Amino acid sequence: MSQTDDFLTQIESLPALITDCVPLMEPLTRKILSTPEIYGLRQIILTGSGDSFFAAAAVIPALRAWTGIPVQAMTSMEAARYVDNSILPDSSNARGLLVISISYSGEAARGVEAAQRLRKMGAITIGFTANPDSRLGKAVERQVSTLIPNSAPAPGTRSYVASMIATYLLAIRISEVLMCMTMDEANRLRAEIQDSGAKLENLVTELAPKLRKYAETWSNATSMDVLGSGPSLATASYCAAKLVEAGGIHASPQDIEEFHHLNFFVNEPSSIPTIVFSPSNSASASRASELVIALQQLGRPTLFITDEDNSFACDNSILIPKFPEWLSPLAQTIPAAIIAAFSANIRNVTHYRGHDGPWRGAKDAGFVKNSTIILKQQEETNA
Amino acid sequence: MLKSFKLTTIENGLIDITSFVEKALAESGVSDGLMVVSIPHSTASVTLVSPWDPKGLEDVDDELRRLIPTRIDFKHQHDTPQDAAGHIKAGIIGHSRVIYIHESTLGLGHSQKVYFWEFDGPRNRNVDIKIMASAII
Repeated sequence: MSQTDDFLTQIESLPALITDCVPLMEPLTRKILSTPEIYGLRQIILTGSGDSFFAAAAVIPALRAWTGIPVQAMTSMEAARYVDNSILPDSSNARGLLVISISYSGEAARGVEAAQRLRKMGAITIGFTANPDSRLGKAVERQVSTLIPNSAPAPGTRSYVASMIATYLLAIRISEVLMCMTMDEANRLRAEIQDSGAKLENLVTELAPKLRKYAETWSNATSMDVLGSGPSLATASYCAAKLVEAGGIHASPQDIEEFHHLNFFVNEPSSIPTIVFSPSNSASASRASELVIALQQLGRPTLFITDEDNSFACDNSILIPKFPEWLSPLAQTIPAAIIAAFSANIRNVTHYRGHDGPWRGAKDAGFVKNSTIILKQQEETNA
Repeated sequence: MLKSFKLTTIENGLIDITSFVEKALAESGVSDGLMVVSIPHSTASVTLVSPWDPKGLEDVDDELRRLIPTRIDFKHQHDTPQDAAGHIKAGIIGHSRVIYIHESTLGLGHSQKVYFWEFDGPRNRNVDIKIMASAII
């Protein structure tokens, strides 16, 4: 099979994966924290790099709203180096801190370092990984397995969705035990996640020809912007990542508001395709509507991925099934990945540049895995 | 004869189900016998209480909450602290009540009504009513 076929096969498998993942992962998240531990939580950090960070970012708004607890998504660098003793004086007090470290392989060095350092600092550390014997698996206090059946190799798609589902389920569990929602409500939300798989069953077939046309039209673009807010910013980040990984396109994710301060001003706007993820019922929908005017003035080629006809008074829109905003990243993942798959296919480029030539250092994730892990003790020794 | 009805509770506490129970009796046509009101849930009960002072109903619920407060250190942690406390309350109060039927009327005193007692609301609940006619000798 070609790399495009492999990628599309992964995308096509997502609806069934969602359906299967919920019953598989729900029991794992149910008892990973005791009730007293949950009641002792004062702060939650979800951390990871790349897709794992985006999975965390996708769930953060819901987890924060449901629990009322301060919740942050952090890149693994921030969690590893800027939470503990990097800024003096060090409080050395992490009681009540829960750290969810997400890494499918469990071997990303910075994520391992973050888990080691924050665990040493006193945080409860849980790893969401598919590899229990990985360095992350050994660094954390507890693990939730995100292992899912293998699929054809492609830029991370199934692992991203599996990480998101595990994070949603833990978020619901914490909220349920804190009695921020009733058990019936919690079960309804679990069912909503699981049932979303069935609603997405025919989406790939429906969207593929439309997205292929956009990829063809934009085949000469060397850079793209992908915009979204809240959970959709996570999708925008994921989509930009896939455009980079698969298509080698310089794609930048940005919040819809921040765009008006930043990438709005990039030169030659008519050469920069702009993809916007915005559910019609989102908290940022009014700003997304205003964005249409800004993009039209700029003359940017535009694609809105939304869930309601005419929701953004824009000709260039593609519809996906409607979900509550918190759950929308699951559905958005499908068009985000499809356009990346076709962009690579039409440009006839090899995913990840084949990890060859100037990109050879990324072979077997070498640059990510082999980074030096620095612990506090070593720093003190070195000093 | 088994009759059931559904109930959606809004919060914890006592809900008067006497009219449902009396309707079930009337529909059964039984004039003499026994009625069992049964709650097929492990975090809710049924009991008989005086209806006349609504504050008295609150006292009943408050006192059980005082005896079995919702704590976070119950060993049962499969669900929620309220659920764990609810299992204990339901275990103590019981899941059924037997009321005799005489001359097509329930054997309830002037100050007795039948109450569904929610310990883990809001929930969707069922109430089962089994009516047994006396044997004719």
